[in-house]
Amino acid sequence: MKNIISFALLQIACSFTFLPVSQNSALELQGNGGNLIETTCKKTPFYNLCVSTLQSDPRGSSADVAGLARIGADKVKEKATATLGQITGLLTGAKDPKLKMALRDCVDYYNAIIKYDVPVAIEAIAKGNPKFGVQSLNDAANEADACERKFQNQPKFPISDSNKVVHDLSAVVASIVQLLL
Amino acid sequence: MADRNPFLPVSSSDGFNPTGTQVNRRKLIKQLLTIFVGLLAVGLFAALLIGNNGSDNAHVNENEHGSLASSTSKKPESLRPVSRGPAAGVSEKSNRPFANVDGNLPWNNSMLSWQRTAFHFQPEKNWMNDPNGPLFYKGWYHFFYQYNPNAAVWGDIVWGHAVSKDLIHWLHLPLAMVADQWYDKNGVWTGSATILPDGKVVMLYTGSTAEAVQVQNLAYPADHSDPLLVHWVKYHGNPVLVPPPGIDEKDFRDPTTAWLTSEGKWRITIGSKINKTGIALVYDTKDFINYEQLDGVLHAVPGTGMWECVDFFPVSKTEENGLDTSVNGPGVKHVVKVSLDDDRHDYYAVGTYHEKNSTWIPDQHEIDVGIGIRYDYGIYYAAKTFYDQNKNRRVLWGWIGESDSEAADKQKGWASVQSIPRTILFDKKTGTHLVQWPVEEIDSLRLNSNEFNQVTIQAGSVVPLDIGPATQLDIIAKFEIDKEALEKTTGSNLTFSCSTSGGAAERGALGPFGLLVLADESLSEQTPVYFHIAKGSDGNLKTFFCNDQSRSSEASEVNKQIYGSIIPVLKGENLSLRILVDHSIIESFAQGGRTVITSRVYPTKAIYGAAKVFLFNNATDASVTASLKIWQMNSAFIRPYPNDKKS
Repeated sequence: MKNIISFALLQIACSFTFLPVSQNSALELQGNGGNLIETTCKKTPFYNLCVSTLQSDPRGSSADVAGLARIGADKVKEKATATLGQITGLLTGAKDPKLKMALRDCVDYYNAIIKYDVPVAIEAIAKGNPKFGVQSLNDAANEADACERKFQNQPKFPISDSNKVVHDLSAVVASIVQLLL
Repeated sequence: MADRNPFLPVSSSDGFNPTGTQVNRRKLIKQLLTIFVGLLAVGLFAALLIGNNGSDNAHVNENEHGSLASSTSKKPESLRPVSRGPAAGVSEKSNRPFANVDGNLPWNNSMLSWQRTAFHFQPEKNWMNDPNGPLFYKGWYHFFYQYNPNAAVWGDIVWGHAVSKDLIHWLHLPLAMVADQWYDKNGVWTGSATILPDGKVVMLYTGSTAEAVQVQNLAYPADHSDPLLVHWVKYHGNPVLVPPPGIDEKDFRDPTTAWLTSEGKWRITIGSKINKTGIALVYDTKDFINYEQLDGVLHAVPGTGMWECVDFFPVSKTEENGLDTSVNGPGVKHVVKVSLDDDRHDYYAVGTYHEKNSTWIPDQHEIDVGIGIRYDYGIYYAAKTFYDQNKNRRVLWGWIGESDSEAADKQKGWASVQSIPRTILFDKKTGTHLVQWPVEEIDSLRLNSNEFNQVTIQAGSVVPLDIGPATQLDIIAKFEIDKEALEKTTGSNLTFSCSTSGGAAERGALGPFGLLVLADESLSEQTPVYFHIAKGSDGNLKTFFCNDQSRSSEASEVNKQIYGSIIPVLKGENLSLRILVDHSIIESFAQGGRTVITSRVYPTKAIYGAAKVFLFNNATDASVTASLKIWQMNSAFIRPYPNDKKS
């Protein structure tokens, strides 16, 4: 009897501590931004890419819209840097002069994305002059387009997939920055 | 807690034996307690699970109404402003529509270096944007501008500076202000000058602080006796204004020139927004250090978004001169101008200023500021006027960005130019528009000219004009369309808009016709600047003025849009056109400057000696007669101020 009563009291005591805590931790697991990512991404042209990219970053769950834009810009730079690596790798092995020319042009476009477009976007977002961010990220998407056009007369576009990611992600982040206007 | 537990028995009468012995009762109580505790445990566990899901639902509901983000970024879905007329077209926020040209054309140095202008203001290299604090002081015109000393893209913004005797021949001076204080560490942004009655100058400008808060700061010349105003001092007590309650710390920038109130105080306005309503806040000051925010706003227009670079100034209803910013009275109207962050265009409206409560009311609400008339239907932003007391005129500056790719800007090492300064006057004939015209000093650049009188251009033809070099030109032209054709043509209900049309190649009964500039011999590259007359089914004529970039270059990474707008043409008016061609910039003025279009073009073939000019008429039903005069334009030799002469 005593055991049962103490057990019952223990249960009651635990219930008062665990129940509210369980509510809070549920919120924390979701993060403030759990659904902000989804609602923000709905306003971009590539929803799935947007959601998976933003969710993959630990900052994503607690970021506001400006924070999401910042994460997006960082990711564009990450993907562009990786793609640039692919391009330069291909360049070292390339023999065909036309292929080399196309690859070299893409190096220029990707340098513009990494050294100019993304840094301008990050600064514009941080300082509250988002229109320059929208323009830069749109430019980044256009640079990726321009790279693809260089391969129009080539049999293959070897970086097609990663180039598309850079293009699409730039367009996504441009739409997010537009929300800050 | 109890109500979350679906397993609690409704009644406790089950198994209760009213006739049981005390021992049985104790046993029963034990059993019940055990069951109760067990159920409690289960209930707790269930509650844990349900609790999780419950908070899920709460999240979703909240998000349907807005964001869970910090209160400052809580923005409801915005509605774009309702139709701004036929010219607006697609927002330039979207990816520039690059034509899918099969050009495998990289930019070579020859093409890129040709793009630099000969007589438009631009720094020697790197990025420029908004015009700042223009003024006339001790014999010199001063021009300051947003400048990036480190790259050909926006960033690290400081104030550049140049001087001129005539608004055309500029000499570069050292940077006027850099980001050396906590209150402008993240950017020395746009501002305006006010000349005090004793002739002294004060400058108010926006600083982006080390915490990226937008504040207003005061600065003044270090030495008022230096006509070049080379050195500037920032007020030690800056900032003089911080974002007021209710205004986001990133929505508070670009203070205007101050004007005197009848109480002898100085008044300024600063653009901002509340949700998606653009507003202009008003402040009074006696010393430019302490300010009092007025209740309400100068004006607000829903749906227009953030108001950048607000400008507020008087124009005379009757006189052909400019007015000092403080002038008010019966013969005066006031103009409110805003740069809309949302669409990168400058809008203005004419109205009446009510000084008592510091409000301004547009003459026509349908063309209120931000939803009506634009200064320029091309690439033109962040414009600012100043009163030129030297020549009693109001002069307008405007920033012309690039419409090529940033990779190209990086390669050529610079980006952006300023428009040729324009005088602004109230257009008495329409009563709604302002007329803009390049300052008369630009005529001093005219060299030799060619005149063409009454040239008839048959329907569907192109007439080459033999004028020699065609990359630095001042063209003045008049067009007359065959009157018979005007009357005979059957009207239609079809609506026309420059931006959604097929450009100069799309033939209509009464247009397009005009000039082809920066065109090569074979017309593989051409930039048409033209009129298009549309006749409605009611017989009424509407005239449109357009600039077609769709075939301006064989390069793919440039803007290929068609800019333009409807233009009011009054009875008895001929169609008139002025075009300034200066390498990669074309500024065109129709009907004396009632409608203006500026564009940037980047031809690959129609450059240097290969660039030509043609008259064209692509109408199907009418011939057009044109008379024009074309001058070669000299360079303005814009260069650094000679070192030995600087103070």
